[in-house]
Amino acid sequence: MSELLVWSGWVGGIAVGLYTLLQFWVTGKALGCSTGYGNVCGLASKAPFFHTGEYADLLNWRLWFLLGLPFGGAFALVSSGVAWHPTFDMGAMYEQVLPSTVWARGLVLIAGGALIGYGARSAGGCPSGHSIAGMSQLSLPSLLASVGFFAGGIIAVQTLFRVVG
Amino acid sequence: MKKLQFVFLGVLFGFLLSRAGATTYDFYAKLFLFQDPQLFFVIAFAVAVGAPGVWLMKKTKLKAFGSDSPIEFKPKPYKGELIPGALLFGLGWGLAGACPGTILVMAGEGKVTALFTIVGILLGTWVYGLTHAPKAA
Repeated sequence: MSELLVWSGWVGGIAVGLYTLLQFWVTGKALGCSTGYGNVCGLASKAPFFHTGEYADLLNWRLWFLLGLPFGGAFALVSSGVAWHPTFDMGAMYEQVLPSTVWARGLVLIAGGALIGYGARSAGGCPSGHSIAGMSQLSLPSLLASVGFFAGGIIAVQTLFRVVG
Repeated sequence: MKKLQFVFLGVLFGFLLSRAGATTYDFYAKLFLFQDPQLFFVIAFAVAVGAPGVWLMKKTKLKAFGSDSPIEFKPKPYKGELIPGALLFGLGWGLAGACPGTILVMAGEGKVTALFTIVGILLGTWVYGLTHAPKAA
């Protein structure tokens, strides 16, 4: 895990901020990741929610953007000088607190993912749409959502490490 | 062509998220345990660059590249379920050590358990869609 090349936080932040502006300029659209999961749902579900409004066109830019993300990860790894290989390792911290058997850990992660998916739609976005693109537009709802994201994260991880760790 | 442009942007953003440390599980736990502010700095500096940039783009009425259409600065609206939703999101964020963007990048890095989280996110999104009326455009 530590084999991945990581920049200082402020350097990474400036790069992500510049990317956000680049996307606004090149595409005219605000950065956002979580909405695109609804595109995928719409391809498999007839529920009206996934076929109306922002989901009228399921093959829009959001789907193609999400498709690019894994390739960015693979490139980041290989350009760190590491040969691509599958790994179950989640790093020293989470290895301490998550179940060690694959199926039990999988259930915890599916539950965590479900909270992420449901919560993102309720909040109308995730850290990319609210905390980065939204706060860059000085939006109060996005600031409130970001405070909520962090509060939830603190509650979950502090509890996890106190009870299990 | 347009589609390829967005695939390429996804690759670039995924690469930057990885270099920023946002695909390293440890940084999430350490963020919420107040042990390492790496990811807090990433968001703070992204906004420190993004906010004046957006202001400047609005001020100069910059058009989207290669087109006459204006850039969509359309902040997300407030709604009653925003704060409880954000809290639920945060619980999952801390538990799974990833968010909807970074988890796809992590899968690309070969982190196998990311697949569980991705299935979970799709499940949560699907349940929300089944239980809520469509949103007007």
